[in-house]
Amino acid sequence: MSAPPRPRIAPLAFAVGLVLADSSIVVLALPQIYRELDTSVAGVTWVLVSFNLVMALAAVPAAHLARRTGPGRAAAVGLAIFAGAGIACGLAAELSTLIAARCLQALGGALAITAVLELLPATVGSERRAVAVWATAGATGAALGPAVGGLLTELVSWQSIFLLQAPLAIAAGIPLLAVARHEAATGVLAAELRRTGRPHLWANLALTLVSSAIAAALFLLVLLLIEGWRLSPIGAAIVVTAMPLAALLGARLGPRAGSARARAAAGAILVAGGLGGLALLPAAEVALTLLPQLLVGVGLALVLSALTETALLGRAPQAIHGGWTISARHAGVAVGLILLTPLFTAEIAEQRHDAIDAGTAVVLDSQVDPLLKLELSQRIEERLEGERGKVPTIGPAFEPLPEDPEDRADVLQLREELQDQLDRAATHAFSSSFGLAALLGLLALVPIGLARRVEL
Amino acid sequence: MSVEARGKLLVGAAIAASLALVLAYLAAGGSSYTPEKIQDPCQPRAWRNPEGLQEIAQQFTLSALDGAACQLGVSRETLARALATPRSRERFAKRYGIDDAELARAIRGGLVRAVDDAERAGALSPLLAAPLRATLRRIPLEQAIEIVRDAKSLLDNAQTFLGPAQGLLEQILP
Repeated sequence: MSAPPRPRIAPLAFAVGLVLADSSIVVLALPQIYRELDTSVAGVTWVLVSFNLVMALAAVPAAHLARRTGPGRAAAVGLAIFAGAGIACGLAAELSTLIAARCLQALGGALAITAVLELLPATVGSERRAVAVWATAGATGAALGPAVGGLLTELVSWQSIFLLQAPLAIAAGIPLLAVARHEAATGVLAAELRRTGRPHLWANLALTLVSSAIAAALFLLVLLLIEGWRLSPIGAAIVVTAMPLAALLGARLGPRAGSARARAAAGAILVAGGLGGLALLPAAEVALTLLPQLLVGVGLALVLSALTETALLGRAPQAIHGGWTISARHAGVAVGLILLTPLFTAEIAEQRHDAIDAGTAVVLDSQVDPLLKLELSQRIEERLEGERGKVPTIGPAFEPLPEDPEDRADVLQLREELQDQLDRAATHAFSSSFGLAALLGLLALVPIGLARRVEL
Repeated sequence: MSVEARGKLLVGAAIAASLALVLAYLAAGGSSYTPEKIQDPCQPRAWRNPEGLQEIAQQFTLSALDGAACQLGVSRETLARALATPRSRERFAKRYGIDDAELARAIRGGLVRAVDDAERAGALSPLLAAPLRATLRRIPLEQAIEIVRDAKSLLDNAQTFLGPAQGLLEQILP
């Protein structure tokens, strides 16, 4: 019997990065999607939740399927489904169609990445190295996703994110066809099935908790930057790039920094600390998000690599346990979004009301002409009607500016004061959610601590 | 350094960095970066420098809004936005279940409170305040809203109309 062909490492790693980037790539496009598809913040969140939820549910069964049918065939089919569903996402004109296509994308993605983990050891020479390549590719994809998505959204459109994924997925799948053909001819894998060991419960539970905190950090920060502080998708993409850059820094610390348990604990603490900082932002300044992002970025690199390593090493078969870690991580993302979305949408509604009252008070207490005051109140009211359920942008209510220079100066000062109230409201609206996410990060310390006892 | 010692150092550094960030943001006012709280319209609000017709008109409008909002159980700010247009008034009436008669009573009451406040602040003579109060208690809703919107015209007209009589009365009365 001829030796099975070994696909190169680059397309395999690229396939993992491409699929796992999809978990976060649409984050920066969400504001545009919810405007274009005329939905709510809670509704558009399902574009993210659906993908992560299906990925969480499908990862382990997909791994079993990949092992039964052959990882080459499974990965090729998975990437083809991922590409087709990507095109459907890009052509979706309604939220329900987009969500359905995202579910299909997650199914294809789950099949592809778990199958790739089964293929990697043969390509790179050892299971340990395969785990490292697989985890790094996934982390890189997930970290770069938001920035790439933000750039594409602003330069082209949100649809381009999905449409571009299709040829990339097909390109990554083509080298796998030779493996698939070989599997079809030999059917060797069915004979190689090994007994599946139990998944590492505590490491996977910790992964779930810490992933929910990290997802919240990214999702909430992007919404705060774009919807709250009115940054463009490119501007927000540049700001949130601080997190993956910090993650690269954290990744450099590697196993030299301490045991897996110590790295996991330190990472969870840093993620929680960074989220605590975001919950306590003292002003609506982009620069103030950088230190918290640094902590979250370094923390996520430490904790995700340490926990994935703990969950996978020494456990066979790799695809199944890789499936469990994928399941745990994506379940965490979905749970985080499901838990936090109602909290912050309620907060936005409440803060929106408080900000408008505070803003109206600023207008009423100002020195501008009383008739102008009521006219401004009217325009503010009109803006509010147009922005129901969203963080309001009030600047246009002041246009056109009065022609009289004195009135103009008064109105400009008013606009500034009103904007300050809105910035305070938008920033404060996210505080509780960041706080809860920080708590989820800290809760990850419980399974990390329990794992220590169990493992010892 | 052993792996265990490096691990302890790493966890210690993570705790220190996280605490430093959270404490620094707390010290910089992170917990109080919220929209300013609006005042209760039922609480008296001091008049600022009630000099000049424009300034008096400003304060008069605010007092009238406070008085009416207090009677209706809403904020001054909500009422101000409600009175901006007929459509916003309609929405307000629907949202709070307030009919025109109730709104008229509240706005008249607010205008009377504004006269009281102006008199107390020394911005309006008692001789001018008394007939104004009597007039304001009877005016129809649309006119009452117009006065809230443009108190300057009311005060201007009242002073023009009562000005000479007021001077005469002040000379006669002790």
